[in-house]
Amino acid sequence: MTKTPDDRRLDLLQGTLDMLILRTLQWGPQHGHGIGQAIRAQSDDLLKVETGSLYPALHRLEKRGWLTSDWDVSDANQRAKYYRLTAAGKAQLSRERDRWSQMVNAIGRIMNPAPGTKG
Amino acid sequence: MRPDDNDLDEEIRGHLALSVRERIERGEDPEAARLAALREFGYVPAIRASMRRVWHSRWLNAVAALGQDMRVGLRSLMRAKGLAATVIVTLALGIGANAAIFSVVRGVLLRPLVNRDEGRLIYIRQSAPGLGAENTTFSVPELNDLKSRVTTLSAFGDFSTVDFTLMGLGGEPRTVKAGVVGGSFFDVMGLRPVLGRLLNARDDGPDASGAAVLTYRFWTTSLNGDPSVIGRTIRLGPRSATVVGVLEPSVPYPVDTEIIANVVTSTHHLGATMVTERTHRMTELFGRLAPGASLDAARAELTAVHAAMMREHPEAYSAKADMRLSATPLRDQITATARPILIVLLAAAGVVFVIACSNVANLILARSVRREGELAVRAALGASRGALRRTLLAESLVLCGAGAVLGVLMARPLVAVVARFAARFSVRALEVTVDASLLWVGAGLAMAAAVLLAYVPRLPSPHAPTGLGLTSGSIRITPGTNRRLRVFATTQIAFSFVLLAGAGTLVATLVALQTAHTGYNMRQVLAIDLPTPSLAMMDAQEMDFYREVTRRVGRLPGVAGVALGSFVPWRDSGPLLPGLRFTAEGYTSVDGEEDPRGRLRIVAPGFFAVLGVPMLAGRDFTTDDRSDSEPVVIVSQSVAQRMFPGADAVNRTLWWTDPLFGKPRPRRIVGVVADVDDVNVVSGPALTIYHPLQQLGVAGRLFVHTGDDPYALVPEITRVIREMSANQPVERAATLEDVRAAVLAPERLNAFVVSGFAGIALLIAVVGVAGVLAFSVSARTHEFGVRLAIGSTPRHLLLGVLSEGVVIVAIGIVAGLVGGHAFGRVAASYIGSLTVPGALPSLGAAFVLAGAALVASLMPAARASRVDVSQALRTE
Repeated sequence: MTKTPDDRRLDLLQGTLDMLILRTLQWGPQHGHGIGQAIRAQSDDLLKVETGSLYPALHRLEKRGWLTSDWDVSDANQRAKYYRLTAAGKAQLSRERDRWSQMVNAIGRIMNPAPGTKG
Repeated sequence: MRPDDNDLDEEIRGHLALSVRERIERGEDPEAARLAALREFGYVPAIRASMRRVWHSRWLNAVAALGQDMRVGLRSLMRAKGLAATVIVTLALGIGANAAIFSVVRGVLLRPLVNRDEGRLIYIRQSAPGLGAENTTFSVPELNDLKSRVTTLSAFGDFSTVDFTLMGLGGEPRTVKAGVVGGSFFDVMGLRPVLGRLLNARDDGPDASGAAVLTYRFWTTSLNGDPSVIGRTIRLGPRSATVVGVLEPSVPYPVDTEIIANVVTSTHHLGATMVTERTHRMTELFGRLAPGASLDAARAELTAVHAAMMREHPEAYSAKADMRLSATPLRDQITATARPILIVLLAAAGVVFVIACSNVANLILARSVRREGELAVRAALGASRGALRRTLLAESLVLCGAGAVLGVLMARPLVAVVARFAARFSVRALEVTVDASLLWVGAGLAMAAAVLLAYVPRLPSPHAPTGLGLTSGSIRITPGTNRRLRVFATTQIAFSFVLLAGAGTLVATLVALQTAHTGYNMRQVLAIDLPTPSLAMMDAQEMDFYREVTRRVGRLPGVAGVALGSFVPWRDSGPLLPGLRFTAEGYTSVDGEEDPRGRLRIVAPGFFAVLGVPMLAGRDFTTDDRSDSEPVVIVSQSVAQRMFPGADAVNRTLWWTDPLFGKPRPRRIVGVVADVDDVNVVSGPALTIYHPLQQLGVAGRLFVHTGDDPYALVPEITRVIREMSANQPVERAATLEDVRAAVLAPERLNAFVVSGFAGIALLIAVVGVAGVLAFSVSARTHEFGVRLAIGSTPRHLLLGVLSEGVVIVAIGIVAGLVGGHAFGRVAASYIGSLTVPGALPSLGAAFVLAGAALVASLMPAARASRVDVSQALRTE
């Protein structure tokens, strides 16, 4: 395992990688490298997905039927495997999104209690 | 779609290429970009492996995790060596016994014979249930009838047994058991030669030249597999034969012979009696089903033909004999006697396995109680129940695997012992070898045990409060665990009881047989075989030889008496069983019932005195009872009472009416002797008629009444006889006591093997009870401390623990008694010869178990009474 020296960078919360991948693919089919770059770019470089987590996750999602894959040639003229969201994947994404917002909500309430409750 | 390795590689290559290009576009040096991309990607093989693993089945991943757990389990067991050793040895005993017995069962009952197309090969038997004769064999006229009329069998093979004095293969002259067969025998049996040729149609009939085939075992063991034996001429009694071939290894049935020769080698087989006499039965019969014919069809036709034969020749088939014909596939026939015994042994081995498993379950359960803290910690840290189970499974797999390895190693010598044992019942056991099936059985049993054992301990419930267990290292025994421990211990006692009672029954039977009163002087009489060269009557010269043997052996120091006879009790048996028909003056049979059957024995003067059989009336034979003097006989008490009830039998006459004797010839009874049963070890009434040797000269058995050390005389006796005739075999010298012991060898082996199993079971069960109590005591140290502190006496505690043990044993014995009898009833309906143990063996077994368990409880009980109060109270 290699640790990133960049202190600013955040570790992914357990169980959120799947959701991020599904969300990224909502914009259209993408290959693994592109997904990693997209997550990084969308998070302003705060999140960096290790390839060692990304690729097994892609395959796991594909095995579950939430993604499908096709070989295609990228705009840079490089053959790559493109992943695409399936209908089941879309349904899963919406479930995960709901769960996530509940979680953020709950944690937020604990961490930032509404003014007045705390003495 | 599941990607293959190429897909994975290409995906990774694509990623790297894109990454490098991006970096170059950003202005990095191409070489540096490549290195940076690789570094960023991480270790390619590991990532590729984790991608691949996603697609593997859950099972494969579980197995990989199990492997990890097994390594951990191995390490943790290394810290509990005593427990591990106990478990492994116990399991090895269970697995080893089962693997060994299973190998033998497979080799004897399940494996096909080497005979070509063995499924079509049948064995035909004639029996006379009315006379208690299981196998009367066939006569040549009967054989000819069957051959000419039966169409569902394509061919018949005939086989009869003869003892030859063999010379010409080196070594001393000796008696060999030989088969005499017709020309079709080997073709019907579907056997091949390993050397030379077998006998065929050209060797059949009285005009062929003598030819003999050696069996593989004889060739390899006695002749060291010497190929030059082919073509050699050997002497078989008065005739000679050429060795033409060696038979492939095959099951010898019905008799294990050393050579198989054609008909022309046996004078007896060419005689008129053999060829024409319908009741002169001495041939075993085999047949091959004709193409398209079923076994049932063949049975039906054989029965019909047999019934027709009986109608046509009523004189040869009495109504009382109730003769029957049966046809069985050869393999079933060969294994018939061994089947019930092997099944009983298999059951005994199974019981030992159950006992071993439940004992190991106890040990594991006790261990898991000690580990409850560890498991609770793991559960609290988020280990799933599956993962905890897997840990336990891994550990029991390690234990059972080790047990299986040790068990299979132990099974190898065990197989040899059991095979020798089973060989008494089935000749097939001689070929049983240790093969891979042993490993499979061992592995299978180990897996079964491992899975069972992994499910024995209770997992810490995620809902139950475990706070205390987590922190304190002390043992807390829950009522549930305690109950389970007791159930397992009780199970062991119950199963051990069944085995012990069974073994007790066998031993009791054996003791009864071995101490049965026989009427003979058992310890001081030596029986020695001095076989005659042929089955025919002795001529004057031979008679002189035997008389001279008697005289010279009688002069040896230490010899109290010598007599010749024709029959060594229990050891000899012949085609003349179940006796020959006879009648006596003034005797009328009831309701046209056929004449009684008696045993014909030929003895020299002095025979009764030498063997210790008392004369009840009249006189012994003398040297004056010669062939030219009046024919006389001596009868047993049963004959006298049956033929002349309430009257004196001496000086009355009787005669044989069996067709074997031709014209009836009255013989005067000169004496009556006590009944001795020389056929059955447990004596019954015996209708025996003794002839003087000089009037019916066939006698090849020497009986010597000696002093205290009979065997010391054997070399002297042999020397004296060899001085007179260098070629005379002198064989099988044994006291009557030892003859009986040899005849009882199967019973003794039976008792020995089952007792062995029972002993193992007892040992394991006692360890089990002791273990449960010891554990219970160690878990209750605190309780005992409290009880002592508030005034209980140590004796009180001691008795308390002892009574715990007694309760376990009592329940176990009752369960074993009830279960064993119920099981015995069921089993007895499948296996006819099975007897349910009587009261004495059951009581004995209960007594032994109770005693052993009491001893086993003593140690833990003593420990309970010696608990140090202050220390016990501090442990909490």
